[in-house]
Amino acid sequence: MEKIFGVLLNGLSMGAIYALLALGFVLIFKSTGILNFAHGELAMIGAFVCYSLAMQYGLPYFIAFMLAIAFGALLGAVVEMVFFRRMVGEPIFSTIMITVGLASILTSVAGVVWGHDVYPLRGPFTDKTVLIGGAVIGQGAVYTLLISLVLIGVFALFFTRSLLGVSMKGTAEDPHTASLMGINVNRIHMVAWAIGGLVAAMAGIFLADQSFVRLSMSHTGIKAMSAAILGGMESIRGAVVGGLLVGIVEGLAANYLSGAVIGGFHFGDIKEVAAFAIMIVVLMIRPQGIFGSEKVERV
Amino acid sequence: MGGKFHTTYEQDMAILQSLWVKVWLGILVFLLMLCPYILTRYQLSILNEMAIAVIGALGLNLLVGYTGQISLGHGAFLAIGAYTTALCADNLGLPFVVTLPLSGFMAALLGMIVGVPSLRLKGLYLALGTLAFGFIVEYVLFHWDIAQGDMGLSVKPISVLGVSITKEQHFFYVAVGFAFLATLCAKNIVRSKIGRSFIAIRDRDIAAEAMGIPLAKYKIMAFGISSFYAGIAGALTAHYQKWIVPGSFDLSLSIAYIAMIILGGLGTILGAVLGAILITGIPHGIVLVTDILKESYPKLSGLIVDLKLGIFGLIVVLALLFEPQGLAGIYRRAKTYWKTWPFRY
Repeated sequence: MEKIFGVLLNGLSMGAIYALLALGFVLIFKSTGILNFAHGELAMIGAFVCYSLAMQYGLPYFIAFMLAIAFGALLGAVVEMVFFRRMVGEPIFSTIMITVGLASILTSVAGVVWGHDVYPLRGPFTDKTVLIGGAVIGQGAVYTLLISLVLIGVFALFFTRSLLGVSMKGTAEDPHTASLMGINVNRIHMVAWAIGGLVAAMAGIFLADQSFVRLSMSHTGIKAMSAAILGGMESIRGAVVGGLLVGIVEGLAANYLSGAVIGGFHFGDIKEVAAFAIMIVVLMIRPQGIFGSEKVERV
Repeated sequence: MGGKFHTTYEQDMAILQSLWVKVWLGILVFLLMLCPYILTRYQLSILNEMAIAVIGALGLNLLVGYTGQISLGHGAFLAIGAYTTALCADNLGLPFVVTLPLSGFMAALLGMIVGVPSLRLKGLYLALGTLAFGFIVEYVLFHWDIAQGDMGLSVKPISVLGVSITKEQHFFYVAVGFAFLATLCAKNIVRSKIGRSFIAIRDRDIAAEAMGIPLAKYKIMAFGISSFYAGIAGALTAHYQKWIVPGSFDLSLSIAYIAMIILGGLGTILGAVLGAILITGIPHGIVLVTDILKESYPKLSGLIVDLKLGIFGLIVVLALLFEPQGLAGIYRRAKTYWKTWPFRY
């Protein structure tokens, strides 16, 4: 019993990262209608910037953290201005492929600047743990979890109560009509990308706290997509619930399946594909996700 | 366009639309025949890679460019073709004439299975589904004993009727031959009822269904044909590389194929061919440039991997932002401009 509790907590700590990544994802998708394949790369660059500031330039961790997420927001805004401003209303294939190309560009830039090595990012809560009911969970994970829960509340209020949030929802539905209604679509999109980039950088830094800073950490961004799909692409709370579920399933798979061998098939690091298996199952059974609603399309 | 008017259906349906196309094609074939006698082994190996890429890109363009179904898992189908060839040719000892179509059909079968969700999923959901499929195929190949994981599998050279093709020059004829065959097939698919249905589905699938095109049949057929092409390309890759590992069929390969069809031009046969040639050529071009610059910038050679990825990404982004019709579109515009000069149209 204690063991399964530990496994669940472990899953939760990874799930919190997925939740945070998925939040940024959903936010960008909800307001711009763009599925951002470069989200993991934004997170990776945020972590690298934080690493450079804190470890190489010796800034206090908290300041480095703040500067890194501010850089993430700036990067998000710049990405929107350079790449997506002229893509408003373009077919979804084009926007998806631009984010895919953008992911390659960002990875390549990070590879040139920081190289292919693995770096440790040590914060004030690294290696510190919290004891919950006989099982341990990293302090960083607790912070991640708390931040994502707080962000749900903030975004929920933002999208229902603030003028900016409501205009974001309207813009997502139909950018052309929204601009006819006097909404500055460009500004809305830029703000959405900036917030998305900020949340992504935050997730990247927390992820680095749990493992290391390296190029391949952007891979986590793709896994977080399955969290967003599971929760429903347009649902903020869905992103968090989906993220935590994916993390827990990964933890369970890693614990109970990874040693198994069936007919010459070694399950091995099944953790790495558990998220994709979930994604395929969700897409087959309920493409709109847990909290999503089915859309009716007109010709 | 361009002052060419068709007065009969035969003319409209012709694969080679004018005398000049025939002449240029003849010259191209002649030059290609000469290549093995003139070029060095390294240059030939580039051409071989290009020829294989042409086959894969044609398949992907039939699916993405003509039918409008996004696939981010094309590399996985190449992997399936490659591994089918490796397992059938080496473990079961089947001859090339059997393993090649078998690889294609194996990939097509899995492609059609992947295509089933496409009846419900569209756009980004389909992109994510195929992406997940690609990762799972890579994972399975890594962890299944039969594929020997990281070790990879060795593949015999092609042998037909006791003649085995081991030299670069001989493989060149095989690869280019198949590339031509693939182009011909693609042309025929596109100008027939199937191709027209694909285009109708791309433009508006609900409207296409209302006009009497069975969506399920044609969407799954598009996935099948596309994967068949990928399987053939994978099989040829396996024979050509003589050694295959799962890592060479990862997401970056799928993205490279996407880059090919976007750069070349979505929904054109010419575009797929041009894009495949250019995208395959670019890494070699980068190597060439860094070799020249190595003297003055010795650090550069360590950055090739990063530069390659970044340039692919940049090509995709720039093509989509500034020239969504790709090279085929530029060619078409240049031709029109040339023909109607000095008038604008």
